[in-house]
Amino acid sequence: MISRRALELATAVLTGSFGVAVVVQSLDNGIGWSSAGVDAGTFPFLTGIIIVAGSLYNLARGVMPAASLASVPIAITPIELRRLAGLFVPAAIFVAAIPLLGMYLASAGYVFAVLAVPRHQSVPRALAMAAATALALYVVFERMFQVSLPHGALAAALGF
Amino acid sequence: MDNLSELLHGFTIAVTVPHLALMAVGVLLGILVGVLPGLGAPNGVSLLLPLTFGMQPVSAIILLSSMYWGALFGGSVTSILFNIPGEPSSVATTFDGYPMARDGRPTTALATAFGSAAFGALIGVILITFLASWVAQVALAFGPPEYFAVYFLAFASFVGMGGAAPIKTVVALAIGFAIAAIGIDTVSGSVRLTMGVDELVKGVNFVVAVMGLFGIGELLVAVEEEFHARAVSSKIDWREVLRAVGRLPRHSVALLRSAAIGCWMGITPGGPTAASFMSYGIARRFSRRGRYFGTGEVEGIISPETADHAAGTSALLPMLSLGIPGSATAAVMMGGLMIWGLNPGPMLFVDQKDFVWGLIASMYVGNIVAVALVLLTVPVFAALMRIPFVVIAPLIVIICVVGAYSVSNSYLDVVMMLGFGIVGYLFKKLFYPLAPLVLAIVIGDKAEDAFRQSMLMSKGSLGIFFANKLVTCLVVGGIALLLLPLVLQLARLFRKPASSGTETTSREKVII
Repeated sequence: MISRRALELATAVLTGSFGVAVVVQSLDNGIGWSSAGVDAGTFPFLTGIIIVAGSLYNLARGVMPAASLASVPIAITPIELRRLAGLFVPAAIFVAAIPLLGMYLASAGYVFAVLAVPRHQSVPRALAMAAATALALYVVFERMFQVSLPHGALAAALGF
Repeated sequence: MDNLSELLHGFTIAVTVPHLALMAVGVLLGILVGVLPGLGAPNGVSLLLPLTFGMQPVSAIILLSSMYWGALFGGSVTSILFNIPGEPSSVATTFDGYPMARDGRPTTALATAFGSAAFGALIGVILITFLASWVAQVALAFGPPEYFAVYFLAFASFVGMGGAAPIKTVVALAIGFAIAAIGIDTVSGSVRLTMGVDELVKGVNFVVAVMGLFGIGELLVAVEEEFHARAVSSKIDWREVLRAVGRLPRHSVALLRSAAIGCWMGITPGGPTAASFMSYGIARRFSRRGRYFGTGEVEGIISPETADHAAGTSALLPMLSLGIPGSATAAVMMGGLMIWGLNPGPMLFVDQKDFVWGLIASMYVGNIVAVALVLLTVPVFAALMRIPFVVIAPLIVIICVVGAYSVSNSYLDVVMMLGFGIVGYLFKKLFYPLAPLVLAIVIGDKAEDAFRQSMLMSKGSLGIFFANKLVTCLVVGGIALLLLPLVLQLARLFRKPASSGTETTSREKVII
């Protein structure tokens, strides 16, 4: 279970640290006015400052919840969290597998796993859908529009 | 009425059986590339280009421009059905199109979008027909200060229309600007904000951000609530298509206003993206049902679509009359013009009358062909909404991954897209507004460049933004739009001193 408060705090910390990174990075580019006009870092620097200030404000609001926050204390229930993970974890594994397996094998495996493992579809149907997905990607991208998708380290090792 | 007789002559060239067939082929191919992620009109046009070398220039340009119309229409399909905008200019369509489709009315949403898009394109073509020479002059009057003023106007009309918590809006906007700044700075040539990752030199592509924020983010929000796609009626209903198109005239004010905004932003180099955002923002502010925008309002679809297509069409004019391509697609087409032995520029209108007026006439006919074909496909696309969520969810993930990858063949983009997905989910969950974030990513760096170039021209004086009538009007208009909500708020406070606290929280929920 994740409370609304924890989520607000986490997001504020996330945006705030992005802001800090922006401020630090933009200092390298110069933040003033030189002979070449406004320096390249000026605008990023200002936006970074705004992000940090805004995040601090949101952080403070999160620590001391206002009335509107208190009315919805729970942001994500355990069941919802499981559903989220059920979608996101396979997707992340799919993306992680692309450099090794290539887009076609990885996407076919992903479709098959998502459909067959939780028994949403029968194994043969899931297999058919997985094959159809990979084939459709190949025909449309590789053949029709000549956009090359990654083939993966495995295919390269096998000599494709 | 010299133009009119030229136009009639153009029609005799455009309305022939071979040319009509070419239009149909072009439009269908265009819809295909428009619907597919990561592919867009530039891909399609460049692949077709070699086929056109043997053709008459008029036939070739008709094929390519029809493909462009088809791609424009097709881009709206994924925005409405899956909340994945294929190109920047259809982002604003997702705001109301997707809620309406999810609400069980995908047919209405698609038909409304196509109908109003066709209207916008038509107004754009009419403008080209009658004001070609005048329009070319306006476009020439634009320098950096005017560019900045136009972007400022677009921002002003869209931002600050309230709803979300103000500080969260500011944070979202600033993050967008920072993301837009990543990569090579076009004014000084120095590399900015790469966080030590060399690959980021190319910048963060808009498609990557949007696929994550909208596509994956929305998927996570949807999966969290029960798997319930609202029951979409299972039979294909042609009458629903006709009814939706027939209802359009009731919104004639919104149609005309959006077409005007679109044409204006198309001629001035603001472009279709700024036009659609601006039109949506203004519609939301001035519509009587503005409060319900974001929940599937008809005018929330009409406004961005009409403006998008009006701008997209009228933006072809600078390409023809000045030889300045307004978009990637226009640039590829210009390459085609040169290969066919034509020189884009002012002389085109004098030397190649048949070509120019044949093309303009084909815009009228091509748009009619496109809208007819695309309306025929509505029930097919609407049927996609009936696929069960468990099947469609992994397909959407794959679409987003492939789309993010094919933008610049980079694996890093795919990983970033997933990251944007988490950000999109968090922001949606906590009522950070996504629209200002996206707008800042899309036009943030252009606005910054224009501002800095103006500062270079004026040696640091802000007076350059009030140097002539055009730029002064734009800047003053922008400031007025920014201050309007504040003034209204003050006026309301003045009338009844104490009752606004509860209203904002209830509005927060309606808007997101």
